[in-house]
Parts: sequence; structure tokens; C-alpha cells
Amino acid sequence: MSNYIPTIGIEVHVELKTNTKIFSNAINGYGMGANTLTNVIDLGYPGTLPTINKEVIRQAIKAATVLNCEIRKDMHFDRKNYFYPDNPKNYQITQFNTPIGHDGYVLIEVDGVEKKIEIEEMHIEEDTCKSAHRGNVTLLDFNRAGVPLIEIVTKPCISSSEEAKLYIEKLREILLYAGISDCKMEEGSMRCDANVSIRPKESAPYGTKVEIKNIGSISNVGLSIQKEIMRQEKIYNNNETITPQTRRFDSKLNDTVLMRVKETGNDYRYFPEPDIPFIHLTDEDIREATKDIPMLPDERRKIYINKGITRVNSDKIINHREMSDFLNSFIESDLDFVVASNLLLGDIASYLNKTNKMLKDTLLSKEKFVVLVEKVKDNKLTSKNVKDIIEDIMEKDLTIDDIIEEKGITNITDNSIIESIVDKIIEDNMESVEDYKNGHDRSIKYLMGQIMKETKGQAEPRITMQLLKEKLDSLK
Amino acid sequence: MADRLTREEVEHVAKLARVEISDDEMEKYQVELKQILDEVMKINDVVLYDDEYMIAPWSVDSELRKDEVGDMLDAKDVLENVPRHSGNYIEVPVVLGE
Repeated sequence: MSNYIPTIGIEVHVELKTNTKIFSNAINGYGMGANTLTNVIDLGYPGTLPTINKEVIRQAIKAATVLNCEIRKDMHFDRKNYFYPDNPKNYQITQFNTPIGHDGYVLIEVDGVEKKIEIEEMHIEEDTCKSAHRGNVTLLDFNRAGVPLIEIVTKPCISSSEEAKLYIEKLREILLYAGISDCKMEEGSMRCDANVSIRPKESAPYGTKVEIKNIGSISNVGLSIQKEIMRQEKIYNNNETITPQTRRFDSKLNDTVLMRVKETGNDYRYFPEPDIPFIHLTDEDIREATKDIPMLPDERRKIYINKGITRVNSDKIINHREMSDFLNSFIESDLDFVVASNLLLGDIASYLNKTNKMLKDTLLSKEKFVVLVEKVKDNKLTSKNVKDIIEDIMEKDLTIDDIIEEKGITNITDNSIIESIVDKIIEDNMESVEDYKNGHDRSIKYLMGQIMKETKGQAEPRITMQLLKEKLDSLK
Repeated sequence: MADRLTREEVEHVAKLARVEISDDEMEKYQVELKQILDEVMKINDVVLYDDEYMIAPWSVDSELRKDEVGDMLDAKDVLENVPRHSGNYIEVPVVLGE
């Protein structure tokens, strides 16, 4: 246990899902040949003027809403000035004075306790070009220049690397569900920087802030912050001073490394962008932008858990958006969600994985699914049966009853019939029964196998096992 | 108030602008930049009735553009305008730190 209290604030950049860039009508795309998705605005040619993409404003309103932010209706853009080859205009157009969203929050759960991660502000800006360093040259690709971004800035209210990781996971889940971004950290459509400081106790002033840039994956969010806290603790313990600086996480070294000693914010000489007039949002704009926000993960989780699904399985379903939407279409019905979720996460998920299909590519209709769940719930279909017919369910335009008939599935669920078979097997295998009585629990499996052999696998396994156990225990 | 900026202040501004200045120029800029700054500071004395008009002095709102793809430049044309390129990439002297 550490003697220091960490204070962490996180900045996340998210690329918005739009057809075109924020200030030009060039394609907002990824994975194309370098410098093939640009026009004169993205390249900062003299005399060009930016025009705002309506969809960017719409997506940003959506993002502010799902992150519980207040929305600023009167806003403008600002220039952030700096000389660097990633931006030939020598300024980045961003929102400094009037961020579209402010005072929001994201809820996370830390060891079963809910915690509010407060969002200071959320603003819109343009992405810069992508640069790659190769030996003594830097290579530039302007396809990314002008891609719309939102930057989400938390208050310094995160107190551990674990909380930071949970926050990023939650943020990603929310933005994915709201359709704002595809949030792929490995492709750079979601990027994360963290500000980390430590102090000896709660009453002490905040320590010197160190920024970690370009954390490339969710697991590295936790890891890089953890390493940085350890590094700062060591400096403190040696009675040395921490200098304000920017570091980056090196996944090969598994540690943070120094990038540069930090400039101050004033050096960016922000001023209002004169090429873009004010934007005044109306209530109608906000209504229009937010009307198609789907049910968000937290609400889904609550409903699933209320309907008896475990926390782990609820999370698994929410991770599979299409499955969650499918299950949600039954919320108003009295479908057994536990059985339904087990089927979805079990045989249906493995079928989808194996065939590399989406649910929508299969012939599993809502009606078929309801019948399937009912039959499993009433023990009319065993788990083995489901495995045997899952392909037919997903691929054939037949009802569940048709499939059962076609496959010749007849389950013996009548207790008296099963009982007589159990009796017969016990009589024929007294040796195994003796073994069981002497504590060889494994012999019950052998007996079960004999029953299945006798019934050609048609005895309902749960009932059979229960009866067999009762019989054997009564013989003890 | 001093009638000139300090050497450090001028050096800092020069660094941000990525320009080198000679000793003679330093003398000159220490004085001239200070004069410019003093002029600009006068704006602070003006009572601002509406911040908004200071930012965009016209009453027209931004016209929002439809999210529809338009013409783009051919990569070949883009690369013709740069001093050096490597394949489709624009090549510049190595820059580290970002």
C-alpha cells in the first residue's frame, strides 16, 4: 500500500463518425492511401475558408448529452497557435472559450461502489495530420487532418489507475452505443492522455503534474498511470523534485519515457477564430440531435440484472451490441431473460463466432427465439438437443417444432419412465453402485452414461441425474 | 513601466515564432514590440458591450454545411507542391517531441 495519494485527470480525444471532415467536404476515412483524402482546406492553402459540418455539431450535441453535460448554446471556435508540420495553417481550430459541453459526468463502479467521474468540459476541434518518424525524416499523411474530434476533459477527480481504466472503458461503451465514434484505440479513433500527480496526504497541496501522452490501449491506460505513480513515489522518497513534463508510454519498455519539458498554455496564444461566425443552437437543434439516442449501457445493465441475469453475463451481452438490441426487443414481454441470455451467450454466440456471422445474417427470428426459450425452460429441449439443432435454427426457414420433428428429437421427460430405466441400470451394474457407495463419486458418471446409452441420449439429463442420485443415496 | 521588453521576453516570442534574431534586431524588437503591445493594451480600456461582436462583428450565424462528400485533390497534385515526398507521404526533416 502506497503512502501517497494520486490525483489523476484524463483527456480523451475521440474521432466523430461522419462522412466528411469538420471544415471541408473531403472524406473522413481511415486506412486509405496516404494523402488521398484531402482538399485545399485540409492542407491549409491560402485563401481557403472553413465551413462547419452540420453532422459534427449534431454528434457533439449527442456526446454532450450522453455524458450528462450542460450544453452551451452560443459558441464559437478559437485558434490554437503553434508551429509544427502536422498543421500547415500553424494553428488548430478548436473551442477554447466556449466548449459545447461542460459540467458532465460518467458513473463508474469501483469495488461495488458507484463513483462519479466529473467532466470539466467537452469541446469540438479538428484533428491534425498523422506524422511518423523514420530515421532522420518525418512522414506526413494529411488524411487525418480535419477529421472531427471531441476532446473530453475530466476534473482531477480520479484517484487510482484502476479508476482511470474503468472510466475509459465506460466512456468507450457509452460513445459506442450512442454511435458517436467507433472508439478504436489501436486505430487512433480514441486517444487518451493522463495528467498524474501525487501528494503525501489529503491535506497537502497538489503535487507537480506530469502528462502522459498517446496511451494506445485500454490496458495501457491503467498500466502507464500505475508506472508513473511508482516513478513519482521514488522521486519523492529520494527527496528529489518532480519537474513538470510530458511523457509517453512505451509499451516495449513497459514504462513511461520523457518526451519534453512542458510549455505553458499561454504559449498557444489562443484567440477567437475570425473565419467562423458564432453558432447559436436552438432547443429544436438539441431535440433533433438527441432524438435517436438508444438506451445506454447502464440502463440496459440495470434491466438485465433486475430480470435475473448475472452481472458478468449482463456485461457480456452489452459488449455484443446486436445481441443486446435483440434481447431488448423482448423487454416488454414475459420472456425468461436468464434462459434467453444463456442461449444467446452459449450456443448462439458460438455459432456466430464459428460462422463469423451477425445475428441479422441468420434466420433466427424473434418468434423462433421465443419458442426456443420456452422449450428449454420447460425441459422440452436439453442443452444437448440445442447443440444438435442450433445450426438448423440459425440457417433453416423452419419453425422450432419442424426442426425437432425433422431431427427426430424425442426426449423422455416422464419421471416414471426414467425411473424404471434408472432401476434397470442400477440392477445391471451393481459393481459400480458398490463403488459409488464406497465413495467413488466418479462411478455415477458411468451409470449416467449407461442410461444415456440405453435411451439413445433421449433421457432428460437434469431429471435423470436427480433421480439417479436419489436412488443411489437411498441405497447407501 | 519599462519602455522595453526584456531580452528573455523577446527570445521567448522569437522561439514561438521559430525565428532567429540578431543582437541588433534584439535591441530593436525590445522597443518596438513594447510599443505595439502598449497600443493593443488600449483595447482593454474600451467598455465592451457585447463580447460576441468582438469575436464576429456581424449578426449572421454560421451556415452549417451538409455532411456530403465533395471534390478532393489527387494525391499526385498534392505531392507536386511539396519539396520532398516518399511514396505518397510528405517528407519533412525529423521532428520529435509531439
